[in-house]
Amino acid sequence: MEEEYEILENTVKDFNAKYVENNSIKFENESMGKEFVKLLADQGFFSMMGQSGEEVADVKTLSVVLENLAKSVPAVAVKTLLANSFLSLVKDPEVTEAVANGSKSGTVTFSDLLVGPGQNGSLLLSDGKIKGEKQFVVGSDSDFIVTLLDTGELVLLKSGFTAGKKLKRLGFRSIGFSAVNVNSSDYEVLSKEGRKELEKLYYQLSIPVAAISLGMSKAVSQKGLDYAKVRTAFGHYLKDFQPLAFELTSLIAETEILQRYFEVLISTSPSRKEAMFLKHKALALAKDISKTSLQIHGGYGYLEDFGIEKFYRDSMALSVLFHNEEHEMEVLSTLVFETKAGFV
Amino acid sequence: MDFELSDDIKEAVVRAKEFANKYFTEEVAEKSDFNEEFPTDIVAISKKEKVLDFSNPWKVLVTIEELVRRDPGLGISVTISAFGAEIFMFFGNDAQKEKYMNPVFAGKRTLGLGVTEAGGGSDVAGIKCEARLDGDSYVLNGGKMFISNGQIADHFLVLARTSPPPSPEKKHKGLSVFVVDSKSPGFAINKLHGKLGVRATNTAELIFDNVRVPKEDMVGEEGKGFYYIMTFFNISRIYVAAQGLGIAHGALDRLIEYSKKYAPVSETGELNENLQLAIAEIATRVEATRNITYKAASYLFKFTPNPIVTSMAKFYAAETAVFATKRAIELMSLHGLTSDLERFFRDAKILDIWEGTTEVEKLIITRMMLKEGGA
Repeated sequence: MEEEYEILENTVKDFNAKYVENNSIKFENESMGKEFVKLLADQGFFSMMGQSGEEVADVKTLSVVLENLAKSVPAVAVKTLLANSFLSLVKDPEVTEAVANGSKSGTVTFSDLLVGPGQNGSLLLSDGKIKGEKQFVVGSDSDFIVTLLDTGELVLLKSGFTAGKKLKRLGFRSIGFSAVNVNSSDYEVLSKEGRKELEKLYYQLSIPVAAISLGMSKAVSQKGLDYAKVRTAFGHYLKDFQPLAFELTSLIAETEILQRYFEVLISTSPSRKEAMFLKHKALALAKDISKTSLQIHGGYGYLEDFGIEKFYRDSMALSVLFHNEEHEMEVLSTLVFETKAGFV
Repeated sequence: MDFELSDDIKEAVVRAKEFANKYFTEEVAEKSDFNEEFPTDIVAISKKEKVLDFSNPWKVLVTIEELVRRDPGLGISVTISAFGAEIFMFFGNDAQKEKYMNPVFAGKRTLGLGVTEAGGGSDVAGIKCEARLDGDSYVLNGGKMFISNGQIADHFLVLARTSPPPSPEKKHKGLSVFVVDSKSPGFAINKLHGKLGVRATNTAELIFDNVRVPKEDMVGEEGKGFYYIMTFFNISRIYVAAQGLGIAHGALDRLIEYSKKYAPVSETGELNENLQLAIAEIATRVEATRNITYKAASYLFKFTPNPIVTSMAKFYAAETAVFATKRAIELMSLHGLTSDLERFFRDAKILDIWEGTTEVEKLIITRMMLKEGGA
């Protein structure tokens, strides 16, 4: 890894040790609080991506930060990802300054790309007002929201919206997740070709999302390794039992391989196909390794105090909130076959 | 060979469905899960309505399956009140059956089983809890971990060491089972919080600090406790397999419902093949789980238990539950994540752990097959 990234990695490690690790259950399940969000912002973590207008977004430094934030509390990494996504789309200096410095929060809705048409509410612009409801908004407790209208425009909602009843929360429980009711005349149209713009950002996030998955995989596999070395059963350390040792070793091998691939990608200009390969494999790995590590911990893995179960929940939540298996495999198959594939 | 359930068992399935439809509302299930709250009211109603008919173990089995299929946390809470009672049935004396077992089967009392300890989950013979004879009673010291019905049970069946093992290889000798009253002096209970799933069930740590147990409350013979517990696990694992079957079937129900309502279709108007194949795979695993679980049950209910098939049923049902809930959420995307399926996903994982981990079940299968020459 380049020296620049190593320095960045150490910065995030120090940040985790100082501000995150002692509050991990609170930051995962309850709230991060404004003070902590301000601390994240003060590190410059919220504005690392640049504007999405650029063809190739600078997701490299962001990805290194996300990978390392995810090792402690994945929800903190997702919060950071949302802020960066927002700032990559919005240009209004007053808004961007407030979000970048952590005094306000912003989010982007991706649900239009994840579920079918008409399944996530409806937002329409009429007589100078945007009205309706948007379902499945991650970060619905934010001060600003970038979202898509039914007519295809990407808009920035500055006020005039309220979060509905919280949806069930498998993961990232400290981040608002609900429908949003909108009745707003305080908005800005960011793009007439909103879906295209949103899709571009979505694919640019492939490596950052993979980075969060990789961070989770590393953290949870380390917990598995540590526990297996000290816990005994039937007179032996857990590490001495073949099924456990072989399975964890195999998954760690996958993690190391993906880590190398990740490092190659962030030191070059990866293609969409390469970035999607990484995301596809990293999301699956995080789920597999979380399951294995939880199993190694037995009943203790099932309790939040041991810090394993959150990875089991979050790895699944991540693979749904920022990923649609069927849709992405269709896109990826088409890139692999170099012709339309995965459709009948 | 007849794969059809008899009419009275089918009737039990219908009764369980009706009960779940009436009482396992999403509001109640969500509240119990969120607050980690045992559904006391629903459990009381289930006892009053005799939802679990202990006169026929097949009825118990299908009732567990159906209730859990609707909601795992509530379903398990309702069906776990008599947990451990078979130990009285097979090894208790008449007085113990009258005093402890019958009130449990009548729905008047709740039972718990204290085997697992903080230092050893799967390693039952390695327990540290001790019972020392002192006059007319035994004095218990030690603790138990991850005990279902921890704060709810009136009595616990507790495994404790009554004599040192004759050798390190024979740790399973010298263990005995006692009935411990939850109100005994020196007995403390700490509820465990922050579970990933089955949060409606009550789970606790038990602590015994010089707890006196009358001699007559030892179950069966001194030193044979390990054998009693293993016998019980060969029963309870079948009911855990039924839990897995219920969870997996519940996930399949939800995936099919989603497919009809929301799933994308191809240009020919059919469900995308990826989804079709996934449904087929989950449905096949559910069916295979049901067959192996019922096979294990048929051996047991004829009093000829087959531990190999029992362990196969338990591990396969657990893996199927975890697999089905995972695949269903992945395919249902945001619809799965925001429905009760996410609770099923969290609940399913415990089945890989309790009543013998999946790894332990697999070891039992192979070791017994090598010893006995097949299933």
